[in-house]
Amino acid sequence: MLKEKYKTEIADILSRYPTRRSAVLPLLYLAQKEEGYVSEPAMKEIAGILRLTTPQVYEVVTFYTMFQVKPIGTFHIQVCKSLMCALVGSDTLLAWLKARLGIGPGETTSDKLFTISTVECLASCGTGPMMQINDDYYESISEAKLDRILADIQRDGTSPLKSGPFMLPEPAGAQGKS
Amino acid sequence: MPDTAVDTLRVTIDGQSLTVPKGTLVIEAARQAGVMIPHFCYHPKLKPDANCRMCLVEIEKVPKLQTSCSTPVTNGMVVRTATTVVNDAHKSVLEFILANHPLDCPVCDQGGRCDLQDFSHEYTPTTSRFVEIKRVFQKEYFSPLIEKEMNRCVQCLRCVRYCDEVMDVKALAPVGRGTMTEIKHFGSHELECEFCGGCVQICPVGAITSRLSMYEFRPWMLKRADTICTYCGDGCRLTIQTKANQPIEVNSEYGAGRNDGDLCPRGFFGYHVSTHPDRITQPLVRRNGTLVPATWEEALEYVAETCINLKLKHGPGAFAGLITSRCTNEDLYVFQKFMRLVIGTNNIDSSARYGQINGVHALRRVQGTHRWTVTFEDLSAADALLLVGTNVTETNPITGLKIKEAVKKHGAALLTIEALVPAVGKISNIANLSTHDFPGHPDQFGTMVLSLIKAVIEEGLIDADLSRRASSYVQAITEALQAISWGSIEATTGATSAAWREAARVFAKAKRAVVVVGQGVLRHPGGPEITTNLLDLLLLTGHHGRPGCGLAPLAEENNDQGAVEMGAMAEFFPGPRDLTDRQARERLMSHWKEEIPQAVGRTLTGILDGAKTGAIKALYVVGENPVGTLPPSSGAKEALARCEFLVCQELFLTETAALAHVVLPATSYAEKDGTFTNTEGLVQPVRTAIDPIGESRPDWEILSTLSVLMGYPIEYGDAKEIFKEIRSVIPGYALLGPVPTPPRPDADAVAQYLERGYAEDVLQRYRVRTREADVKGKGGAKTLALVLTQSLFHSGKFSTRAKGLLQVEATGKLALNPLDAERWGLGEGDPVRVANERGEMITTVTLRDRLPEGLATYPEHFDEQARVLMPLTIDNGTGVPYYRSARVEIEPLKDVELERMR
Amino acid sequence: MPKHEKILLKNMETHGYTGSLADYERTGGYTALRKVLDKISPAEVTEIVKKSGLRGRGGAGFPTGVKWSFIPKDHPGPKYLCCNADESEPGTFKDRQLIERDPHQMIEGMLIACYAIGAEAAYIYIRGEFVLGAQILERALAEARAAGYVGRKILGTDHSINIWVHRGAGAYICGEETALLESLEGKRGLPRVKPPFPATHGLYNKPTVINNVETLANLPHIINRGAEWFAAIGSPPKSSGTRIFCVSGHVARPGNYEVPMGITMRELIYEHAGGMRSEKPLKAIIPGGASAPFLTTEHLDVKLDFESVAQAGSMLGSGGVTVMEEGTSMVWAALRLMEFFYHESCGKCTPCREGSSWLVQTMRRIVDGRGRKSDLETLVQLCQNIAGRTVCAFGDAEVAPIMSTLKYWRSEYEELIQQAEAAGLIQLEPAAARH
Repeated sequence: MLKEKYKTEIADILSRYPTRRSAVLPLLYLAQKEEGYVSEPAMKEIAGILRLTTPQVYEVVTFYTMFQVKPIGTFHIQVCKSLMCALVGSDTLLAWLKARLGIGPGETTSDKLFTISTVECLASCGTGPMMQINDDYYESISEAKLDRILADIQRDGTSPLKSGPFMLPEPAGAQGKS
Repeated sequence: MPDTAVDTLRVTIDGQSLTVPKGTLVIEAARQAGVMIPHFCYHPKLKPDANCRMCLVEIEKVPKLQTSCSTPVTNGMVVRTATTVVNDAHKSVLEFILANHPLDCPVCDQGGRCDLQDFSHEYTPTTSRFVEIKRVFQKEYFSPLIEKEMNRCVQCLRCVRYCDEVMDVKALAPVGRGTMTEIKHFGSHELECEFCGGCVQICPVGAITSRLSMYEFRPWMLKRADTICTYCGDGCRLTIQTKANQPIEVNSEYGAGRNDGDLCPRGFFGYHVSTHPDRITQPLVRRNGTLVPATWEEALEYVAETCINLKLKHGPGAFAGLITSRCTNEDLYVFQKFMRLVIGTNNIDSSARYGQINGVHALRRVQGTHRWTVTFEDLSAADALLLVGTNVTETNPITGLKIKEAVKKHGAALLTIEALVPAVGKISNIANLSTHDFPGHPDQFGTMVLSLIKAVIEEGLIDADLSRRASSYVQAITEALQAISWGSIEATTGATSAAWREAARVFAKAKRAVVVVGQGVLRHPGGPEITTNLLDLLLLTGHHGRPGCGLAPLAEENNDQGAVEMGAMAEFFPGPRDLTDRQARERLMSHWKEEIPQAVGRTLTGILDGAKTGAIKALYVVGENPVGTLPPSSGAKEALARCEFLVCQELFLTETAALAHVVLPATSYAEKDGTFTNTEGLVQPVRTAIDPIGESRPDWEILSTLSVLMGYPIEYGDAKEIFKEIRSVIPGYALLGPVPTPPRPDADAVAQYLERGYAEDVLQRYRVRTREADVKGKGGAKTLALVLTQSLFHSGKFSTRAKGLLQVEATGKLALNPLDAERWGLGEGDPVRVANERGEMITTVTLRDRLPEGLATYPEHFDEQARVLMPLTIDNGTGVPYYRSARVEIEPLKDVELERMR
Repeated sequence: MPKHEKILLKNMETHGYTGSLADYERTGGYTALRKVLDKISPAEVTEIVKKSGLRGRGGAGFPTGVKWSFIPKDHPGPKYLCCNADESEPGTFKDRQLIERDPHQMIEGMLIACYAIGAEAAYIYIRGEFVLGAQILERALAEARAAGYVGRKILGTDHSINIWVHRGAGAYICGEETALLESLEGKRGLPRVKPPFPATHGLYNKPTVINNVETLANLPHIINRGAEWFAAIGSPPKSSGTRIFCVSGHVARPGNYEVPMGITMRELIYEHAGGMRSEKPLKAIIPGGASAPFLTTEHLDVKLDFESVAQAGSMLGSGGVTVMEEGTSMVWAALRLMEFFYHESCGKCTPCREGSSWLVQTMRRIVDGRGRKSDLETLVQLCQNIAGRTVCAFGDAEVAPIMSTLKYWRSEYEELIQQAEAAGLIQLEPAAARH
């Protein structure tokens, strides 16, 4: 499956490391990109490519938080709950999300569009409260900003409010992000 | 005494000074000083992981406590293992572990032999201050044989590390992170692995236990007997633990025996074989066509009388005897003495005839002694190992572990000529560790060995000294190989000349080189020739005779080696010595005080032929089962049915015993004392673990009683007495093997071989054999080479009576390479017909990555149908029957056909 | 107004700077590499870095030049450089900025480091969540390869240096250098037993140096302007150079502030970060990321350099300075951090694995209003049984929040426990049972 569709990518990934096993994280990302989560057949296939046993792949998948072993919502909202964000209102952000989407951490909306998780520090401590939705960061979230982000995502699948290359304090004369 | 700064260091442990080799860990040094530092995750077989933190000690001049399991001794180090600080540290680690540990002791099989219990007893306060909530893992079914209770786990990861570092199976994985780390296999799937029991043995608590004996006992209720395993030739030391005369479990002590505590599934889970309900408990005598119970008196008198009569009428030459290599040396010795002395014939054979004898003849011919000139330690210490046709991790797993150790721990070069392709699977695959692998079918192995020798010669790697003293030998081989082109080699072997040359270089340049040869050679046509060629390889490279070097044929059954050495063979006296050996004959006669028949007797197939023609009228079978082992094309069933008198000493009513006139119940290995000789040649004691089942008696005892009834008494008080006689008949027996040092080749024998012995058949041996199954499964042809092989989970048919092993493998399946299967539209579990001109069999497919294309295998343990397909050929020289490979056509079975068959 | 010259943030603060190769070269980028390749010997480069006094900017603060010198000379076979871009210490967000805004600065630093230690292959281990950062790095590396700075025979010399991006997948512990190596090798990120150290037995058991992003970013500047120049900045000799402090929490202007080491916390918080965000006064400061013990208002004049902060009972750590105002519950704050450590504990060693679970549960109970009198003594003893007994420094880190908040704000703990008592919950002492 992965081997056919991602032949060149896999060959490129394998060429970067002197041992095959090192490629397990990049290949798992490939599998997750493809199916939205890491399925057992994907793990078996990756084990085959890397000449590992399936337990060896499985133990890696379960160690790292970014791999899902079960399908989740299309948009994974990951809210940072570490102290620094908590000091500036991450709990409030979660309450806003609960009010708008009706779900809390660990839950998925019934239309399978959104899943909320709480995560630990995303290295955005100066712009909290903040969240990561799939690959994108959304920082300095106010209630209004949250509404716009959710509307954008529901409509277009992405939002222009996502963070670009990070700088804080923001450069003088830069376009405001809020 | 001054220390040599290079090799030894001085260390003080709790005031005791001692000297240790450089590299010794503090925990090991402490043990040498008699100080046991408590620990969970440390184990001498594993790389230190230092995760439990239990072994913390104080080291002078080091500010923090250090884990003694990961700290090597430095010169002048002063260690304190029992100060208040250290004890408090132990207490704190135990407090942490016990915080989450369940109060399972009353229901935990580890209770009474648990490290956590023992250390808690020694170090902890009696109250707990943990008032939080213990972490709970959902109980899940793990496997039929191995049970998992994760709440008890202390996350030492010994099980994971053992499965990885020692076994190379990697079936266990720590899953998740932090305190919820759980040992699993793969998701919610059941554990699939080798079931060697290593994780059960190495778990310091009751997190991983055997399911076979769950809840049946408490350790202090068990009686222990240290004995030797009955399955393969590795000869592992087992401790059979019994309760009320039932075997409850088996373990093996670290540091004891040749296996050093490691076992395989057969040894660890196969112990119920002795107490199978089908055991014959009384003598049976055939009356009016049916076997009915009789008393020992009745049965033995009947046997004695009939034998005497038949002997009078037809002479001793009309008698023959067969014995299994599973018997003890004492059984084997008394059997051949009985047959030679009481009956008066050399028509005897043992199951060593099925393959072991091929290796024996080759070794005796070239080096005089049939014994290994290496030990298991030499295997681990080898610089280069060449495996030919062994599938060692399935046939002789403990030998396999020594080879794995050589590669993984010591970086040995591993050359494999096997019916295996590197492929990761659920059980270990020795080809995965191979540095130079040459996959092939058994009928290619001979040519592959020649390729290696040819490469050695052409690369100029012949030992200079050998060239000098055996120039005609070298020349003959060189010329014979010159006639074989690299082109034909590459076509036959599928490997390039460059690959063979590279392998030759690696092998020749190694200081310590061992060749291991297995059933894939010994039980296939060409066995003795290929083995002899492998000895040529060792001679040409100059390794032969040097320390740590030699040829090591793998014994399949537990006492194959003993059967040969006790002379339970048509051509041998105890020793083994040739029947023509006058010195041996005289020594024997001086002990036995009787004439011993001169002529070499009939071997197994000769006996069956004799039975067919009527030359053999009476057959005495001890544990052997020709009808159930040989293919129908051997005519074994018809032959035995023609016997006027067939007596079987048996544990179970096998196909052969079912034809007998008298069946006498014998004891299994677990019910008698004696000795087994393992594949290395080491004689090891077998001890009674349970009382004889029913009225069964040790084989030697039955024969002894019979001998009295027949007027030629061979009487012994116990097995020890027999062994004493063996030692006087074979001077120094038990010290001729690897202990104290392995035997050296007989220089005279080698010289003779090099001078002229080799020439007898050098041309026949050095030619490319035509392949009987010329296949790669190409195109539409669905022809394959089908080979009967041994499974890791079984040994012969004997193990199919062990309920534990049947839970892992209860039936046979046709194993195919996935590419072949795909080509013919076959998937895992699909029904298939396998057929050739001799017959057909219906079975299911299983996919096996590690098979080379064009090769299919079937486990011999369930080969009732598969045997039908096998042709039988007999080795001209050694009389070994070959019936393990055939050319077959396979065909997916459509549902319609399946229905029709039903 | 910045009173001190910015070095690392200089480019990106220039209006219009995009971080592209062209932009970087325009500001003098890759001059240092050219200066060094085949013109200054690798050993000399190491000497320069030693003399500069540069210390690791990830958290441990180990002298960089000394670390490089542990690599065995004349070692046959490959050596490796790993850039630790796993920035996961709560309170820290400087590496992210360096990567996303000026990737070539770091890349040039990596090339210099590889040259100095004789490595031909380098991996940037970047935390999985930094998706944008990884993309930016890939783009920058593509530019660098095209320009001949990275790859085979760089800049026409015989040196080949390859750099690849390797994404982590969500594990704070992979910021620990040996856990990073395990993760790079494709295994679970569990720290290794040391010794042996990565300098001799690192990636794939080969000699390896692991350096933080900011550490590497300093190298081109040290080469260009000299060791003495760098050594004179900050608080020489032990704390030379600038540091990017990440100020977060209840300040008016959170952000990354590059200042010479040795400025006081007061200066950083009030002059750079704009002081407190409201009229609520300052209550507590964490000077160096979640692993650093809390400090109080009494410590405002402590200088931000390695020695001074250590003397004050905390650590400079990752440079993440978190400010808390009056009204913040210190017990709650310690619990939040304990939750972090509990979540991130790799589970390898007993004290951290079981201890973090125990500590977090006790703290939850206390904050929840179900604390007991005996809890405080238990907390202290558990922390003492963890610190110094673990495989890696995570154990020492995880006890810092509880120990330091207990030290300075014990009354808050006691109050919560008294409230619990007063709420009438039955205080059960554990039964005197045997284990």
